[in-house]
Amino acid sequence: MHRLWILAFSVALGWGDDLPRQASEILSANCTGCHNAKLKVALLDVTSREGMLKGGERGEALVPGDPLKSRLYRVVAHLDQPSMPPGKKLQDWQIEVIKRWISTGAPLEGKVATPDARAAMAKMEERPITAEERNWWAFRPVKKGTPPGVKDGWVRNPVDAFLLAGMQAKGLRPAPPANPRALIRRVYLDLIGLPPTVEEVDAYLNDTSSDAYEKVVDRLLASPHYGERWARHWLDLVRYSDSGGFEYDRDRPNAWRFRDYVVKSFNQDKPYDVFVREQLAADEINAGSPPSSKDTLVALGYLRLGPEANIKTEQTRMDELDDILSTTGQTLLGVTLGCARCHNHKFDPIPQKDYYRMQAVFAPTAHAEIALVDEETVTRNKEENKRIDERIKPLQKERAALEKPYRDQLIAAERAKLPDYVQEALRTPAEKRTEGQKLNVIQVEKTQNFKEADVIASMTAGDKARHKEIGERIKEIEKQRPTALPTAMAVVESGPKPDPSYFLFRGSPDSKGSVMQPGVLTVAARDEVAFPEAPSDGKSSWRRKAFAEWVTSKENPLTPRVMANRIWQHHFGEGIVRTPSNFGKTGEKPSHPELLDWLAAEFMEKNWSIKAMHRLLVTSSAYRMASDDLEANRKIDPDNRYLWRMPRQRLEAEIIRDSILVVTGSLNAKTGGPGIHPYIDPSLWQGSSGRTWKGLPDSDPETWRRSLYVFSKRTIPLPMLEVFDKPDALTCPRRNRSTTAPQALILMNNSFVLLQAKRFAARLEKEAGGDPGAQVDRAFLLAVSRPPAGNERALSVEFLKTHPKDGLVDFCQALLNSNEFVYQP
Amino acid sequence: MKRFLSRREWLHLAGGGVGTIALADLLARDQLLGATGGSMLAPKAPHFPGKAKAVISIFCYGGVSHVDSFDPKPELYKRRGEAMTGKGEVVVSQGNPGGLMPSPWAFKKYGQCGMDVSELFPHTGQLVDEIAFIRSMYAISNDHAPALFQMNTGSVLTGFPSMGSWVTYGLGTENQSLPAYVVFTDPRGGPIGGAPNWGNGFMPAAYQGTQFRSTGDPIVDLKPPAEMTPERQRGWLGLLDKLNEEHRRRNPEDTELSARIASYELAYKMQTSAVEAVDVNAESPATQKLYGLDDESTRYFGRQCLMARRLVERGVRFVQIYSGGGNFQESWDAHWDIVENHGMHARETDLPMAGLLRDLKGRGLLDSTLVIWHGEFGRMPISQRMSGRDHNPYGFTVWMAGGGAKGGTAVGTTDEFGYKAVENRKSVNDLHATMLHLLGFNHEKLTYFHNGRHMRLTDVSGEVIREVAR
Repeated sequence: MHRLWILAFSVALGWGDDLPRQASEILSANCTGCHNAKLKVALLDVTSREGMLKGGERGEALVPGDPLKSRLYRVVAHLDQPSMPPGKKLQDWQIEVIKRWISTGAPLEGKVATPDARAAMAKMEERPITAEERNWWAFRPVKKGTPPGVKDGWVRNPVDAFLLAGMQAKGLRPAPPANPRALIRRVYLDLIGLPPTVEEVDAYLNDTSSDAYEKVVDRLLASPHYGERWARHWLDLVRYSDSGGFEYDRDRPNAWRFRDYVVKSFNQDKPYDVFVREQLAADEINAGSPPSSKDTLVALGYLRLGPEANIKTEQTRMDELDDILSTTGQTLLGVTLGCARCHNHKFDPIPQKDYYRMQAVFAPTAHAEIALVDEETVTRNKEENKRIDERIKPLQKERAALEKPYRDQLIAAERAKLPDYVQEALRTPAEKRTEGQKLNVIQVEKTQNFKEADVIASMTAGDKARHKEIGERIKEIEKQRPTALPTAMAVVESGPKPDPSYFLFRGSPDSKGSVMQPGVLTVAARDEVAFPEAPSDGKSSWRRKAFAEWVTSKENPLTPRVMANRIWQHHFGEGIVRTPSNFGKTGEKPSHPELLDWLAAEFMEKNWSIKAMHRLLVTSSAYRMASDDLEANRKIDPDNRYLWRMPRQRLEAEIIRDSILVVTGSLNAKTGGPGIHPYIDPSLWQGSSGRTWKGLPDSDPETWRRSLYVFSKRTIPLPMLEVFDKPDALTCPRRNRSTTAPQALILMNNSFVLLQAKRFAARLEKEAGGDPGAQVDRAFLLAVSRPPAGNERALSVEFLKTHPKDGLVDFCQALLNSNEFVYQP
Repeated sequence: MKRFLSRREWLHLAGGGVGTIALADLLARDQLLGATGGSMLAPKAPHFPGKAKAVISIFCYGGVSHVDSFDPKPELYKRRGEAMTGKGEVVVSQGNPGGLMPSPWAFKKYGQCGMDVSELFPHTGQLVDEIAFIRSMYAISNDHAPALFQMNTGSVLTGFPSMGSWVTYGLGTENQSLPAYVVFTDPRGGPIGGAPNWGNGFMPAAYQGTQFRSTGDPIVDLKPPAEMTPERQRGWLGLLDKLNEEHRRRNPEDTELSARIASYELAYKMQTSAVEAVDVNAESPATQKLYGLDDESTRYFGRQCLMARRLVERGVRFVQIYSGGGNFQESWDAHWDIVENHGMHARETDLPMAGLLRDLKGRGLLDSTLVIWHGEFGRMPISQRMSGRDHNPYGFTVWMAGGGAKGGTAVGTTDEFGYKAVENRKSVNDLHATMLHLLGFNHEKLTYFHNGRHMRLTDVSGEVIREVAR
């Protein structure tokens, strides 16, 4: 049919004679708006035959006579990516015209007309959003419905009502309550990331008051360890790392202040909207506030946490901004914004233009280390440093003069060894040198050098001594330098009027489109969001402030839904939406949409209090269920999507290591400050470009701090955390939970674990005496919060009795390796 | 059957736990190993029968010079010392570009195919009829870390799964008691960029490369500290198995718990199998000599090549060997003195590489083992610091042998100086697409769903280089 139609069409039009004109019109209407001699998007100019033959970034565009080899045809026919024109497809007959025109040798008379380039380009950048697209569940306004009126003693709060209604509709029944020991262990591991002590378990079991459990929850939420646990979830999302990655993977000596800021924010139950606004725009929000507010500038580290290229170019800056946009899109809004960098989003209504309007929000920022002290101290510090520099300068000068003759001599000797043609270039008078000779002479002059050690080695004894003396004097003066000021890893802007940002075709800085004004995610904003002008004497554009206000406005349906879902996910193993950073079409739909909306609304009503959400969720009957299997339920809902039981979950990397430290009595509970460096076998990190790891021995209690404080170096991960799926410092909304042999090898054989097993054994001897039965009882209580059950006691006592020498240590090693130890019940 | 025997062995070693575990359980667990936790690495069929079953990547880290090895440029002799003109902007990474600098090594024709190879690689030269050269490679970055990441993961950014992760994700492994993906670094240090070069990115940790040491125990933490004797270890592992069984019995439906029990069996077996796998002393003196183990300069890399062959023979899927590491002249990054630098690194690797190809062929393994030789980029045809060469991502050579690669061929060309790939240009995506093709994958269909996208090793491009595939 199709072919017939084209045939009929071609007969009617009389292809052939008219092809050049037709092709020219199609090119003019669809291509030359961008690919003209002036704009040359993708370095391609299709206004002339020569331009097409020459081609662009991706090679020639036209092979006369062979449409299938012509890029021009391939992209308009959607045979190659990126297909053209962006975001649409030509009509079939137009594609056929192009094909035939190329087949006939692509003749062209004169130039292809260029439409008003600016207008054509602006049109190309548009991607309207339909009402239907706005109606996608995630973009609809949050609506707080009434919880289902299920009458059942199981229902403790509205969360239970929603869940039970869902279960009943499917013929499911909730699992029985978890036993109290399992429940308290669960809520400890969940809220503070540490197992309860034996005494804490006993106190709970002995508390007969009706709110015994709620009291435990309140105590845990008030514990400083709570922030250490929940900060980790946030740090995963915002790609926290203590180094910059790539070649030098430079340490970020102040990144820890951001980590501590997050811990503190969680502990203070800082309202989530404030927390978000500070990370996006603490400087603009606090503009003009008293100096004490400088501390919140640490929050701007959020904009600095991505990897940092070694060689900076326009392209790497675009990559940096992309890292911020992708992270912000996924973390705060639950959309895969990064997919709209090179083209309109393929699945979701996210125009490429939205991407570049949001890029314009962050583009004005520049990296800066901001001193967290008053201006007077900063000035004083600068002056002291200057004074020292000035005392050192003459010494350095003297040293250079001392070295010079020796260095010159070495260089002269070396020049004699250069290839003939280079020596000839050096001999040739400057004005007579060829281009090549000039290059070679400059190269010799600029790059020939010797290490200081070689120069010193060639000196006379007297000069050597003098050289050493100067060096020592410099060292002495250096010692007087004031200690470095505490600084925040932050950003600054140059002023209220930033440089323009552009739409970039195919994401390439070489293909700039229109100038972009700042904007937000159109599909999620019901009205146009205003970006007010910054005060003319201000330090920044205020773009981030306006953006942050939109992100956290109660009109934005994404922010509260996304965060409520994350909190849910960490308590219940999976989110109501199981793709927590992707609420778009390629994500999963919510299992309980009304519940999610109810939670999102509740979250905002409770002033964005994260702790209020914890309290609500962990005191529900759902949270208190056992993790036991119910065969009848499993047949209906094998994935537990209706949450008829609590899932048993392998603990995260940090909790496994921290739990070991707690049960062996080793945990060093010191909070905050610079990261720690536990021992890593040098064969795993000895590398290039000065990357190094100063690991402390396993026996150093400084390393027995919580894993949150382990220095997180991008190129040198700590194996014990890495094998258990700690993410590698890119945004990670949900960790993998793999089970592998290398995990087993580490827990079996790592010297840290054996050392801790010995400490565990010593603790048992101290606390339970020499009786094997008492030791076993105590060990189980410490390690898994319950006495031994079934055959466990007999098996363990038998083991201790048959292995009198090292049996206790080895028994401890077995417990630390056991399945129950690494699973949240 | 073999597997069942080794399980009995395990149980025996683990303190005679047979009494506590019913035979039915055992069999169920064997399946579990391939069905849950183990499933990530269970052997899987590719899209179509591939020629290659395993890959050995020889990574000349720092950037090996093509114009001094496999891409002869007589023009450089003729025009030595002249400025390089007519090729667009001359981009160098460290400034002060010099004039054209000829290779200090002469080229000579080798093999039936008459391929040109420089004096740097006389042994490899003898095997050119097994080798397919791609002389028109280009990469994106002239900075080491992004270029390494691109060669290993397809992306210049950090955090993407590496080639070996993709291959083990796609094919699993033939030997569960060895890591599926093994990485050997140079004794002078690992490459720039560190662990992300063999990272699993957004995939589960099961797909990450395991670093093997070339002396002592191959894997860190393969063995416990000396005081923990094998007898002691067997003892407590037996107790662990019993305690885990007690726990599992209370939660019989939870396959994850069974998978974790199985992971300890694998780890236990790995303690011996990994040591056995890299025991080059088990090889005949003739084989050892073939890899240059009798010579100080070739011994280290030769051991690694020989270990790679032993690993591949035992079902390991992907082995990567880094030649070069550490700083300055210790890697192939010849900014200072190409003669000293490439002279040293080629001497260390040429004979062992040739030995590897010969040995694989002799054992009938070459047809199913794809060997890829590459750096992260090539080097400039002009001088740097008088006698060195700067980075060049615009044109360079990689070669493939075995595993369905078409020996005795050369694809594509660079310009007359070797600065830029001009004819039949091949991207890193093309190289990866070709590797996957030889393994039996359509690179556009080997995907991993992450953050709303079906991610690929080749991102959104890549074409199989048909000319090098048999």
